[in-house]
Amino acid sequence: MAANFWTSSHYKQLLDQEEVDVVHPLDKEKGITLVEFKLLKMHMANYIWKLATHVKVRQRVVATAVTYMRRVYTRKSLSEYDPRLVAPTCLYLAAKAEESTVQARLLVFYVKKMRTDEKFRFEIKDVLEMEMKILEAINYYLVVFHPYRSLSQLLQDAALNDTSMTQLTWGLVNDTYRMDLILVHPPHLIALACIYIASVLRDKDATSWFEELRVDMNVVKNISMEILDFYENHRMNMEERLNAAMAKLSLKF
Amino acid sequence: MEKYEKLEKVGEGTYGKVYKAKDKSSGQLVALKKTRLEMDEEGVPPTALREVSLLQMLSQSLYVVRLLCVEHADNRKDASKPPKPVLYLVFEYLDTDLKKFIDSHRKGPNPRPLSPNLVRSFLYQLCKGVAHCHSHGVLHRDLKPQNLLLDQERGILKIADLGLGRAFTVPLKSYTHEIVTLWYRAPEVLLGSTHYSTGVDMWSVGCIFAEMVRRQALFPGDSEFQQLLHIFRLLGTPSEKQWPGVSSLRDWHVYPQWEPQNLARAVPSLGADGVDLLLKMLKYDPAERISAKAALEHPYFDSLDKSQF
Repeated sequence: MAANFWTSSHYKQLLDQEEVDVVHPLDKEKGITLVEFKLLKMHMANYIWKLATHVKVRQRVVATAVTYMRRVYTRKSLSEYDPRLVAPTCLYLAAKAEESTVQARLLVFYVKKMRTDEKFRFEIKDVLEMEMKILEAINYYLVVFHPYRSLSQLLQDAALNDTSMTQLTWGLVNDTYRMDLILVHPPHLIALACIYIASVLRDKDATSWFEELRVDMNVVKNISMEILDFYENHRMNMEERLNAAMAKLSLKF
Repeated sequence: MEKYEKLEKVGEGTYGKVYKAKDKSSGQLVALKKTRLEMDEEGVPPTALREVSLLQMLSQSLYVVRLLCVEHADNRKDASKPPKPVLYLVFEYLDTDLKKFIDSHRKGPNPRPLSPNLVRSFLYQLCKGVAHCHSHGVLHRDLKPQNLLLDQERGILKIADLGLGRAFTVPLKSYTHEIVTLWYRAPEVLLGSTHYSTGVDMWSVGCIFAEMVRRQALFPGDSEFQQLLHIFRLLGTPSEKQWPGVSSLRDWHVYPQWEPQNLARAVPSLGADGVDLLLKMLKYDPAERISAKAALEHPYFDSLDKSQF
């Protein structure tokens, strides 16, 4: 099983941070900055997560949906691919790809229920049209590997699989989907970074275990720093900054 | 879709028609697998999505049919009517499949056995393809002669129709019951096991192996119950000793107690090495069944020139 990620399309599609951090020209024209771009994607990820709790799908499906959304915006603009439609459609597509189909009308129903913008209306056919556009944008690459699987295996191997560590690392992994990490790093390294942070927070000495792993600890530490920076950056006046970004695109959701 | 000229309909897949067509610019023959998208219902069928995504991942193997591209078209015959969106999976074209090939050796003007070397070569390629799928975490779940395409001229076999395939994760979760075509269905599936794995494909490979040698199906059951009886009659009714846990499977009943027959008699033209490999593929306990990767190393293949694969 170890071999499969390395030969997967997911591995071949990993991008450099510089390739992910590109604001599409059409969005740039509207004044969207890189920071705002990231913020909007984070908001979309949160939105997908929220929507998923209504339609009751597994965490893995949500993680796949967020990954699709992030892949779409490495190639397409927020201006042309309306986030309010892309978000539910990614969830719709991920549910299908992960074999737990959610009916389109159910999604549309909950989007309407959660609606924040009275003016924005869409129907099932819009989701289905967007599904086609997303498939083309991501070139039908639908297989995504997530850190969750390696996480439980690694925690067990490190003998850190008590409830408190499991919950903490699991939550950290969930939070990594609010960033672009899944597009840039192999999933097991993201899992290791989360374990690293958790072991520091919980005061567990895992140094020797990490040393015995044949992985580049610099990469793991860099990912950890990115996660910590993310938490640091998002403590202050999020709402305001997000609203400013959305106003530029005349969006509300 | 103007790029392709449809030549003829060659079959019906699990979710749509298949056409033989020609790429107008290159002259290359392709197979177009058409999927109508019910835009008022649920969009792209999950089976088509799954096949595309798995093929994207597996298509680099010589032994899995190559997906060349995916084309999305709005088939509008009449400008006044709404468009009918269609998805075409464009595959390389292969001229026949193993079912037709075996049939042509059983009936028709010139009935004759498949040459032992050809059986060996096809089985080796099949194991290669299955090993490739399994190493990528994909179960095929519906291996049967119709799904194995052949390039007769070059003697190449490729696995097709991954519509039922699924990327698996560990631990294996319960899959939807009832999936593999009856004749090639593994006993654990027939008995209602919900935690099955790569062994289900290896069972099918064993049945296909025997079928190539016999030119007729090994276990041609027409109901699930019949299918089990066919298997038990030849291999003996499985015991708890042979297959720990069998009697606690969901659909286990008390069956007549058959003694195992000599498998070699079911495949009289097959040599001892071949029979040994077949026995390992048809082990009752899925955990004991030979893996595709291990099968490639079996002495049965020693006489094969592996460098050509």
